[in-house]
Amino acid sequence: MDLPGPIHDFLLVFLGSGLILGGLGVVLLTNPIYSTFSLGLVLVCISLFYILSNSHFVVAAQLLIYVGAINVVILFAVMFINGSEYYKDFNLLTIGMALLRWFVQIIWTTRSNQIIEQDLISNSQQIGIHLATDFFLPFEFISIILLVALIGAIAVARQ
Amino acid sequence: MFLLYEYDIFWTFLIISNAILILAFLIFGVLVPIRKGPKKLSSYESGIEPMGDACLQFRIRYYMFALVFIVFDVETVFLYPWAMSFNVLGVPVFIEAFIFVLILIVGSFYAWRKGALEWS
Repeated sequence: MDLPGPIHDFLLVFLGSGLILGGLGVVLLTNPIYSTFSLGLVLVCISLFYILSNSHFVVAAQLLIYVGAINVVILFAVMFINGSEYYKDFNLLTIGMALLRWFVQIIWTTRSNQIIEQDLISNSQQIGIHLATDFFLPFEFISIILLVALIGAIAVARQ
Repeated sequence: MFLLYEYDIFWTFLIISNAILILAFLIFGVLVPIRKGPKKLSSYESGIEPMGDACLQFRIRYYMFALVFIVFDVETVFLYPWAMSFNVLGVPVFIEAFIFVLILIVGSFYAWRKGALEWS
């Protein structure tokens, strides 16, 4: 069932402002580790947005993969930077670019609300059924892709 | 609750657990006496005088573990919907998921042999 009107709007505004603040934080903070944590906030807000589209499995998958794995790897990569090399200035150009992008995004992505009905089978079950029957060959190929990614990453990182 | 009715119990649990934490910090923030001194402000090193710098150089081992973790985390996300629909699907789907996990076990053997899982 769709969310009631005021709650939908409240969530939209709350997550949107969190997203914008997080985005500004990623760009404007001088310490790159603070930037990475701000990126974590952005990814959490993006994943919570999928609640408004009634797809709860995507929320969980985004939280697990983006925040749990990808943000952690970015943090580890950022930890290699020395403390003395941090950027000390407060660049005005980046503020202007961030605001411009914000306005363009708001104007170009406002969509109308859609009514979604709830099925007998839950979302994750439907995804599982389709994955195993209609898309089982891509499912197997995904495992091969993951294997290749693992081997490639280890081969590169060992040097 | 007023949002996502089927998660009522979950919201109650979340709110109560957070309220206990916040209450604990507030009460102790009021009750604890604060006395500053040079010894109290130095960093803790298991009772001895702190020696050396607090920041160590980052080791590559942490990154290797995060890398292996990402691949197996993505695999786990694919196994969740399979597990949710397991009771309505038959044995052939079980075999398919078995093949999926088998290919990734080959990958984990590779990582093991190549020393990506070494800590020392």
